[in-house]
Amino acid sequence: MSEVIKQRKDVSDVVISTRIRFARNMKDYPFPCRLNEEKKRKVASIVKEAALGGHSAISDRFKYIQMSELTQEEAVSLVERHLVSPEFISDRQGRGLLLLDDESVSIMINEEDHIRIQVIRPNMDLDGAYDLADKIDTLFDEQLNFAFDDKLGYLTQCPTNIGTGMRASLMLHLPALRESGAMGKISASLAKLGFVIRGMYGEGTDPKGSVYQLSNQVTLGISEKEAINNLRDIATQIITQERAAREAMAKNISVLDKIFRAYGILQYAKLLSNDECMKLLSDLRFGVEIGVFENIDFDTINHLMIEVQPATLMKNIGKKLNPHERDRIRAEVVRSALMRKQVPASRRLEE
Amino acid sequence: MLCQSCEKRQATTHIKTILNGELKEYNLCPECAAKLGYGSFFGNFGLDIDKIFGSFMESFGNERSAKRCSFCGSSFEDIAKSGKVGCAHCYEEFNDKLLPSIQRIHGRTTHTGKLARSAGAEVKIKNEISRCRYELEEAIKTQEFEKAAQLRDKIRELEGNMNTAGGESK
Repeated sequence: MSEVIKQRKDVSDVVISTRIRFARNMKDYPFPCRLNEEKKRKVASIVKEAALGGHSAISDRFKYIQMSELTQEEAVSLVERHLVSPEFISDRQGRGLLLLDDESVSIMINEEDHIRIQVIRPNMDLDGAYDLADKIDTLFDEQLNFAFDDKLGYLTQCPTNIGTGMRASLMLHLPALRESGAMGKISASLAKLGFVIRGMYGEGTDPKGSVYQLSNQVTLGISEKEAINNLRDIATQIITQERAAREAMAKNISVLDKIFRAYGILQYAKLLSNDECMKLLSDLRFGVEIGVFENIDFDTINHLMIEVQPATLMKNIGKKLNPHERDRIRAEVVRSALMRKQVPASRRLEE
Repeated sequence: MLCQSCEKRQATTHIKTILNGELKEYNLCPECAAKLGYGSFFGNFGLDIDKIFGSFMESFGNERSAKRCSFCGSSFEDIAKSGKVGCAHCYEEFNDKLLPSIQRIHGRTTHTGKLARSAGAEVKIKNEISRCRYELEEAIKTQEFEKAAQLRDKIRELEGNMNTAGGESK
């Protein structure tokens, strides 16, 4: 085990972020689907109290947000930043959110379950994310009477989550595997192993920006640790495949052309639609991944991929914008972020 | 309702997503859902998980049992129709009906992993044993034999506890 960790190399060229989510419920209240608005408020206040009134140092760092009080842009931006699920903002009445000051922990109240604890960490950090989620969960457990069955584990509104109630996910950038058309096959074989891989942004057959989310599906009869180790093993295989596919493409002149064009457009465009921008940022990241650009780091691109999302763009600017205005601001945001990096297209790969 | 993607097949999957800053809801058929990356872990059967769960349970629902959960008032029909369990007590109340679906979804029916504070003493020991066994396997794999020996002793001790105390000890 420690050997494996020691040998683990940096995988930030493929892994964007890690997420651990626990689903928890209280025994003495029906699940959210059977709660009216008043009861939901009651549940929200109990959970809020348990989190903020705790004696742990982390308690002071949480901020409580009543979802019904947010503007539509603020709510959508939470989804774009992966802090809450789309489902969570589809009906915001009686729902609350506990957000840690650095936004690495978000606790959704009255989503599908009473409590959804979610920890997000940059890069690959399954153990770190799990440890924090585990700690927060234990704090709740000390104060609340959790719905738990000796045989079935943690009980959840949807039986697909019972047992550990844990979903572990990795956000992966897989441009080469996507380009090579291998994703369909990979997705099918993962399904057989109890894992799922899906696009992270938007709906398309064409996951925007080649960003995928890989997560475990089975939660009963497998411990958290096993599930996490399995996920890591699977991810390691995908990473190896992606890197091999990249290597094969790195010398392809058409691929390089696409990458350099993306860099040019991102630097000089005056209008960028969200779709185009995500595609170009993905191409740019691909360039960084295969060593075409020096000085652009993954963090800059990872941040941009979220910052250019429509609602987040408007939230940061502080006003509503029509799509055309958004395209203009988006181009500015991207340009200034890249300018700060001052990246001359550096050495090319030997041809 | 027809699938919004192919407009041919029946839609069974409901998807909420954020597209260009707006919350969008889609109704898709299983094929299109799978194509668009929303295939579930039953994806290889070309069916949607909610549908499997729902339809599987519907066959029980047809019995029209009048039994309702004493805590939240859900009938098994309510659960089967929505795919949502009403409360923690429903799992006891409708255990025999839910279990086959649970088995289908997860392949297993016994929890291993973290335990809540409210878990019984016996299950706490059992859980500790299976955790140690897992760590033992890992230790052997990585050739940490000293650690493995310690774990083996701990497992024996825990098993002893369970036999003698009948699960009374914590």
